[in-house]
Amino acid sequence: MAGDAEQRIEAYLSRLRERLRGMNQDEVREIVEELRGHIIDKVASAGISGELTAAGVDAALAQLGSPDKLAREYLTDSLLARAEVTRTPFGILKSVFHWASLSVAGFWVLIGSTVGYFFGVVFILVGALKLIHPHTAGLWAFPKGNGDVEWAIRLGFGNVPANGREVLGWWIVPIGWIGGWGLVMLTTYIALWAVRLYRASRKLDRE
Amino acid sequence: MHESDAEDKWEVQLRKGCLELAILAALWEGRSYGLEILRRLERDSDLIVSEGTVYPLLSRLKALGLVRSEWVTSDAGHPRKYYALTVAGKQRAAEMARTWARFSSSMGALLAPLAKGK
Repeated sequence: MAGDAEQRIEAYLSRLRERLRGMNQDEVREIVEELRGHIIDKVASAGISGELTAAGVDAALAQLGSPDKLAREYLTDSLLARAEVTRTPFGILKSVFHWASLSVAGFWVLIGSTVGYFFGVVFILVGALKLIHPHTAGLWAFPKGNGDVEWAIRLGFGNVPANGREVLGWWIVPIGWIGGWGLVMLTTYIALWAVRLYRASRKLDRE
Repeated sequence: MHESDAEDKWEVQLRKGCLELAILAALWEGRSYGLEILRRLERDSDLIVSEGTVYPLLSRLKALGLVRSEWVTSDAGHPRKYYALTVAGKQRAAEMARTWARFSSSMGALLAPLAKGK
C-alpha cells in the first residue's frame, strides 16, 4: 500500500520536474524536495496512524492542483521575479520561451518579444556599423518601377547598392542607438505587462 | 447573476491582493515552512488560500530577496524548507502594514454609514 502511495507521489513530482525543465536545476530540485515534504506531512497529518495511503496521497495532490498548472505558476512567478530584478532581454526571452511551451498566450508573447528584440538589436547594430561602413550602412530607399519604394536597413557589408538612395545619413547613428534601445526597453515592458496580465487572469480562473 | 459574479471576482481579487502581505506577516515572528504558513493563514485570516499558489509565491518572494530559506531535517525524517524574512522583507512588510492601516482606517470612516445599513 505504501509503495503504491509513493509511486503516486513520484509520478506527480516527475511530471512537475519535466514541466519545469529549463528552469535552474538547483531551483527545480528544491521545488521538488519541498513539495515532496509537503505531501508527506499533509498525508501524515490527515491520516489516523500517520501512514502513507494511496487515498491520502490523492487527496493531498488534488489540493496542490495539477503539475502542469503548478509548473505554469512557478514559471510565470519566477519570470516576473527575475525580470523585476534583472530586466535583461536574454533572461526575459529565456523565461518566455519556457512559458511558450506551456501556453498559447506564452507563444504569442514569445513571437512578439523576439520580433521586438530583433529589430531593437538591428537598429543598435546599424547605428554602430555606420561608423565602420559610412557609405553603405543605414536606411536605404529603393524606388521600384511602379512608383513604390522599398525600404531596407543595411548593415553596410558589401558594395554600395546601384539603384538605391541612403536616406538618413549620419542621423542613423543617434536614431539607431536611441530607437534601438527604446525598442528593447519597450519590448521588455510589454512582455512584463503581458506576464502580469496573464498571471492575474489565471488567479481569477482558479476560484 | 452578473452582479453577483462581479462581486465574487472583486472579493477574489481583494483576497489575492492581500496574500503577499499575509505571508510576510506570518513570518514576522520567526521562520516557518510552507505547510505551517498555510495553516497559519487558514486559521488567522479570512483568505481562502490555494496550496498551489503559496509555494510559487514563496519562491517569488525569495527571488525578490524578501525572504531567505534554509533546509532543516524534521522529526518526521525528511527535510523541510524554512523561510524567514530578510532585512528587506521586514522593511517591506512594515511598509505594507502601514499602508494597510492607513487605507483601512480611511475606508472604515467612509463605510461606517453603510455598515449601519442606512
